[in-house]
Amino acid sequence: MLDALIGGLLLVLQWKAFSLMLVGMGLGFVIGLLPGIGGAATLALMLPFVFAMTPAEAFAFLLGMHSVAATTGDITSILFGVPGEALSAATVVDGHPMAKRGEAGRALGAALMSSLIGAVIGAAALAVSIPIVRPLVLTFGSPELFMISVMGIACITSLSGIGARAQIKGFAMGLLGLLLCTIGQERQSGGLRFDFGLIYLWEGLDLIPVLVGIFAIPEIIDLAARGTAIAGEKPAGQLGAGVWEGVKDSFRHFWLVMRCSAVGVFVGILPGAGGGVAQWMAYAHAVQSAKDAKDRERFGKGDVRGVLGPGAANNSKEGGDLIPTIAFGVPGSGAMAILLGAFMIMGLVPGPDMLTKHLAVTYSMVWTLVIANVIAVLLCFVFLNHLAKLTQIRGSLIIPFVLLLVFVGSYTSNSHIADLLVTLGFGALGYLMVRFGWPRAPLVLGFVLGKLVETYLFISMARYGFSWLTQPLVLVLIALTVLVIAYPFIQERRQGTTGRVYAD
Amino acid sequence: MRISAPSIFSFFLAVLAAFAIGSAWSWPFKTQLFPLVTAIPLLVLALVQLMLDLRGKAGPADGPAVDLALSSEVPETIARRRTLLTFAWMAGFIALVFLIGFPLAVPLFMFCYLMLQSAAGWWRSLALTAVAWGFFYGLFERLLRFPFGAGLVQTWLGL
Repeated sequence: MLDALIGGLLLVLQWKAFSLMLVGMGLGFVIGLLPGIGGAATLALMLPFVFAMTPAEAFAFLLGMHSVAATTGDITSILFGVPGEALSAATVVDGHPMAKRGEAGRALGAALMSSLIGAVIGAAALAVSIPIVRPLVLTFGSPELFMISVMGIACITSLSGIGARAQIKGFAMGLLGLLLCTIGQERQSGGLRFDFGLIYLWEGLDLIPVLVGIFAIPEIIDLAARGTAIAGEKPAGQLGAGVWEGVKDSFRHFWLVMRCSAVGVFVGILPGAGGGVAQWMAYAHAVQSAKDAKDRERFGKGDVRGVLGPGAANNSKEGGDLIPTIAFGVPGSGAMAILLGAFMIMGLVPGPDMLTKHLAVTYSMVWTLVIANVIAVLLCFVFLNHLAKLTQIRGSLIIPFVLLLVFVGSYTSNSHIADLLVTLGFGALGYLMVRFGWPRAPLVLGFVLGKLVETYLFISMARYGFSWLTQPLVLVLIALTVLVIAYPFIQERRQGTTGRVYAD
Repeated sequence: MRISAPSIFSFFLAVLAAFAIGSAWSWPFKTQLFPLVTAIPLLVLALVQLMLDLRGKAGPADGPAVDLALSSEVPETIARRRTLLTFAWMAGFIALVFLIGFPLAVPLFMFCYLMLQSAAGWWRSLALTAVAWGFFYGLFERLLRFPFGAGLVQTWLGL
């Protein structure tokens, strides 16, 4: 174990892996500031670039980028009230009022420091959990893995919106993702499905054009439709001093930061529950931690605790997210679903192999989370003023650069012109989904997990017939899946309302 | 009962699922199992959603998903025009790639977009095009040595 831990560190510190991590961090740094492009979209955009890399280099590059994007996303949330990331929305609630009050520096210092602490806690949780989940994972066969995949899709659909009605859309999208995965040659019998006589479709739809189209294009369209800078018309203002005051705040409320980090790890571990949920739960916990009603009234008006909680949870959930992704192949969020694509590209199979044969690679991910966040926070403190100015650049100047990334990235997956058409087609689908309130995450998760689900189902049926449905662990997982599906309905009945829309 | 854009989207999903079921019905068992297992419930859910859309029962839970929410700051007609224009630019870029290949399409698209759409002016457009092309050339052609195929025009001319 210790050998693997040290081996993981050495993998990250190799010059090529370290350089790629710095490149990824640079991208994540900028992307985190751009609300038009989320961290998940950036992961999808960068996926084609990992083909020529070793696993340790690829994960240093991708995780370095992703973890830093979560950190810098807080900057625009605080300065302009514009979440740099969907995961940074809760930071706006108290961070932006602080900025309007002239305490932008303090809010930024608090957000960055709590993010760093959260990232370290998340990485530690990932490292510690590996020996714990290892024996558990080794007992899981195809029937259990099939049910876990189904439960993962059920989880993410149940979080697609609040209320029974939202579940319909969530599940429909999850099923559509699974159905899209059936395009091409069926792996067990070799039969062709939905190929329309096109050789291009024999191999099925490629992950990258689908992901890039669905995630990136709707956000580009929205930026173009607004016709403003990314941060809108909001003035940059003065950051002022107080950064160190914010850093001190993280230690004044150290236990709150620790508890919110734990919330982030816990939510991250739950398949399907992403950072969007973690930050709001952490914010809710920060509010609950108020001494009395009068103390509670300060939240929403610029209380630094309202910045510390979501900041810590945002980054700690990265480590938590990786636990089910690595150990079970069930992504904890949309971004992890995309990262799962990187596993496939690298020829790695998430699950027992990652905890035995490739343990050093797994630990290199832990180290990447820690090292990337430490460097990012230090750099943030140095370049804070200049970086924030990016959001003041006209959107029309940024869009062609992003389009370039979108289409070149898609093309490099297969070197086929049809990939560009698939990207555009799925971009249009993604746009319509956003427009009509259909969640994109379940579709992506269904698409990513589709082949695994079908394979596990096939092996389970071939090995056990229908008797796999009566295995004890499978029954427990079925019960949990039913609970996950039924919970929103129970909640709606209890509240006696048709449900409230998420504050997200 | 009213036909709205969301109901058309739900109808499209139902048609897609029905088509998948119809296609898979005649396939061998192993090939048809998974498509049917996914398409049949998809059809049911799409039809339920279609009914809800047609009845116009849009409760709060039927609002935006936990996802990106499109901005509503710009009037609908302007937003629609800009949306279509951006899709047209993307389609144009794909057409350019098809005709002249990536290495030429990238600088041409960048310059045209910056000049015509962004109104960035000659010097700024040239400078930003150079930056984009430098990134493209440096990363893909020099560092990764990625083989970009020739366009239709180069193939015709035998270049």
